[in-house]
Amino acid sequence: MDQPSKGAGVSGADVSDIAIEANAAAKAPVADRAQALKQFALSDKTFYWLTRASAICVLLLLGGIILSLIVGAWPAIQHFGLSFLTTQRWAPQLEPAPILGGLGPIYGTFVSSLIAMLIAVPVGLGIAIFLTELCPMWLRRPFGVAIELLAGIPSIIYGMWGFFVLAPFLADHVQPWIIAATSGIPVLGSIFGGPPSYLSLFNASVVLAIMILPFITAISRDVFMTVPPVLKESAYGLGCTTWEVVRNVVIPYTRVGVIGGVMLALGRALGETMAVTFIIGNSFRIQDSIFSPGTTISAAIASEFAESGGLHQSALFLLGLLLFVLTFFVLAAARLMLMRLERAKGA
Amino acid sequence: MTTMTIAADAFQPPAASAPVKIEVRNLDFFYGAFRALKNINLSLEQNRVTAFIGPSGCGKSTLLRILNRMYDLYPGQRAEGEVLLDGANILDPGVDVNLLRARVGMVFQKPTPFPMTIYDNIAFGIKLYEKLSKSEIDGRVEAALKGAALWNEVKDKLNASGLSLSGGQQQRLCIARTVAIRPDVILFDEPCSALDPISTAKVEELIDELKAQYTIAIVTHNMQQAARVSDNTAFMYLGDLVEFGETSQMFTTPTQKATQDYITGRFG
Repeated sequence: MDQPSKGAGVSGADVSDIAIEANAAAKAPVADRAQALKQFALSDKTFYWLTRASAICVLLLLGGIILSLIVGAWPAIQHFGLSFLTTQRWAPQLEPAPILGGLGPIYGTFVSSLIAMLIAVPVGLGIAIFLTELCPMWLRRPFGVAIELLAGIPSIIYGMWGFFVLAPFLADHVQPWIIAATSGIPVLGSIFGGPPSYLSLFNASVVLAIMILPFITAISRDVFMTVPPVLKESAYGLGCTTWEVVRNVVIPYTRVGVIGGVMLALGRALGETMAVTFIIGNSFRIQDSIFSPGTTISAAIASEFAESGGLHQSALFLLGLLLFVLTFFVLAAARLMLMRLERAKGA
Repeated sequence: MTTMTIAADAFQPPAASAPVKIEVRNLDFFYGAFRALKNINLSLEQNRVTAFIGPSGCGKSTLLRILNRMYDLYPGQRAEGEVLLDGANILDPGVDVNLLRARVGMVFQKPTPFPMTIYDNIAFGIKLYEKLSKSEIDGRVEAALKGAALWNEVKDKLNASGLSLSGGQQQRLCIARTVAIRPDVILFDEPCSALDPISTAKVEELIDELKAQYTIAIVTHNMQQAARVSDNTAFMYLGDLVEFGETSQMFTTPTQKATQDYITGRFG
């Protein structure tokens, strides 16, 4: 103990008393500190277990959903087997046993998402490029906010608007024009053939495209804004036009983020239910023309689940399971693609 | 101009002998309402290095960015006056800025390789303006990389990403990229401020070699660098051109008190 209390005129006994007191005073906080640390350790542990439990909850939920889908779909899997994927006929009331095939909804899901992506990806990227590179400053904010509001509109409203406004417009003005332009051309003629229709795969795809447009735009705009200005300046400094800068610098630099946004939009397109159910026509038959009615997995489930039972309900569960698997594979494929791109870049 | 003629000119005062490449007349520049440059008059001589020095915010980078109209990218910035490149005013609204920027190349403070391979970083700019065969482009890429003293370091990994190089190599890649499109003028905006001393020495050496073919302007915060690489120096302060003259004269016998104070480190 080297206490600085050895003053002149203080006797030896006093010094030792003072030293003992100082010692006790020093020990008390140490004990308090240990006590406090013990409490921290306890709360640390509690926190650790709480967060861990939350994380496990997610896995349990995911597992539970998959399990209940499989259990629900099991009778249909046993009854139809793989032929469910290749059968087009959907006859739940048939006696003695219903014939149910998922090909129609699966086809409709793929085709409507494909058409929606074909429309929404170029338009969405175009809007994002305009917003980040070309738009006058004062217009950027209102424009950006408008796009974000578009993402916030509930899908039922898109469905109503599509049913009452967009579908009639497309059927009366756009479809006849496309039909006339493509008639007689071998493949295109049948894809765009037949009479114009209010309820059709094409109309549903256009509504889907409008619904996913804000996702693609908002995400691409955000990632385009991460490009360092000096990188763009150096491309401009070589004499690039805006298009060349976007094509060769902005998009390669942000490729991963853009693909992420597109995949998110695809995920939404595959699963979108309400708006599509309103205007797709809910026909399980696959027809050559995209102007004829069709259905998607989610639209089929939404429109039939309430009145279903037995094998019919189980078949709808199976459709749900297929959608789940499909979405999973889309995301997995996206991840794989990104990984391969990263490796090819050699960075 | 060849080295031969430079040697022959050595007997005369060099300022009188070199033809003027860029002439700046009565130039004002505004960021919105703020007047960042006030009535600048100076000329960049062909095949010479002109350095712009001065404390931060004095307008030297602004001046550089006028010479290739980089400020055009940003709304609210405007220049008034004349900047004559080979006698033609580049501030005319009718000037094709893309062609101008191909003639007046720029190297930035931070290395900015494009997100592509080393080869493509160079070939990209060439392909913008010229339709060449693969072998001709190969030759140009090699020449540009040799010109930037980078060829020996990257010749075996031309297909690696430009981002995989070190900072100094990236900066020389950016110089090679600028040289590859055969500009008349090269602008350097603090090209060494992010580099270590060895890389800095390499870039300075390069600038010295490049001036045989190009007219060069360099903005630098490093007084020794200005003294080492430049033939003429412009000292700027708060948007004014305080003094402009030969580097050797400016660093030994400056005519202005402010210049002397700045280069001797009394302020700045």
